[in-house]
Amino acid sequence: MSMKILRLVFLTILATGLFACTTAPKQDLALEQVRSQLDELKSNKELAGYAPLALGEAERALRQAETATGNDTYRIHLIYMADRRIQIARAVAQRGQLEEENARLIQERNDMLVKASKLEADMARREAEKARMISQANVEDAQRAREEAMVAQQREAASVQTAEDAFEEAEQAKALAASSATEAQLARREAQLAAEQADTLRRQLENLQLRQTESGVVVTLGDVLFETGETQLREEAMASLVEVVDLLQSEPDKNIRIEGHTDSTGDSETNLEISARRANSVLDALVALGVDADRFTAAGMGEDFPIASNDTEEGRQQNRRVDVILLDK
Amino acid sequence: MRILFVVSLIVLLASCATPKPAPDAFNDAEQAMEAAIAAGAEEHSPVELRFAREKLAEARKGMEVRQYDKSIYLIEQSEINSELAIEKSRAALTREKVTENRRENAILLEDYESTFGEDFK
Repeated sequence: MSMKILRLVFLTILATGLFACTTAPKQDLALEQVRSQLDELKSNKELAGYAPLALGEAERALRQAETATGNDTYRIHLIYMADRRIQIARAVAQRGQLEEENARLIQERNDMLVKASKLEADMARREAEKARMISQANVEDAQRAREEAMVAQQREAASVQTAEDAFEEAEQAKALAASSATEAQLARREAQLAAEQADTLRRQLENLQLRQTESGVVVTLGDVLFETGETQLREEAMASLVEVVDLLQSEPDKNIRIEGHTDSTGDSETNLEISARRANSVLDALVALGVDADRFTAAGMGEDFPIASNDTEEGRQQNRRVDVILLDK
Repeated sequence: MRILFVVSLIVLLASCATPKPAPDAFNDAEQAMEAAIAAGAEEHSPVELRFAREKLAEARKGMEVRQYDKSIYLIEQSEINSELAIEKSRAALTREKVTENRRENAILLEDYESTFGEDFK
């Protein structure tokens, strides 16, 4: 065996060894497709960042496939593996992206919960504030009502006081009125008494018996004009003579004779004296009341011309008299 | 010259001949699939889970016909599909949570807006 033959055999064996597993570049197309998938994934800004490790493994697997030598089966296997690695990297990246989205959603929910609880707290605070204000208003209302009640009470007390004052004044006035009334009553009583007295006289004067005699009309004045034993007219008797005056003045042309009479008590001299004085007293009174003095004549007649019996007191009283005689012409 | 021959022989063997899958390889792939199912892959990533199951079944077949290298690839492919199924399931579950949170936030917002007014936010 020559060296040349040996070398040829060796080279043949070596070539066989080297190319035994090599194939024609049929897989290039598949490899290119896988490469473009990886490149696409790596350039995907949204996904690439989530799976750096998985992408690194995919890259390594692809490089292995790209640089692989050997038979078709092996290279196809490596291409397949690289493709799976790329799919894995894609799934990992998607999961990362989704987990980030999840975290964002959970954060969003937490934000909502926090915000809601704040709003609820605000709402509760506002309601509490409102309730506090209402209660404050109620307190103020109550305070105001209390004050008004107090003012009313004071006013009432004042009015009660006023009423009491008024009542007292009224009482005083009433007392005053009562006392005035009493005074008035007293005065009235006095007046009444005086009037009654005057009336008694007047009645007595009215009761004057106007007697027609042959000498003329005789007016008899009873002994009431004089105190017993007195010859001066009683003061109040003056007023009672007015009617007599009226009678006398109604016949101004007639002369007037005044005669004094007594009862039979006492001696006749004294009785004559008294009757004369009383006749003169009446004359003076009638003149004082405005009757012309020239028309008068007066005389004391004593006890000799009784008009009633001297045996009884009543009779004697009738006999004690002054006759005013309006003389016929 | 002899050495050169040996070296070239080794290169030849090394370049095409592959060892058997590691003894635990099938177990690991099974566990990865179980993990994917536990992660909700049956609902959220059924396609990838099916790939994982099919690849593992093929790997077992490859063992029967002594295509060990193919079996090793298939085991790896099964495992990576399980891994992908897990990640896809997790992403889907996270998406569900996002949807649920969005819905709850909307209800909460509506509730608060009726209580505190439209300008709540």
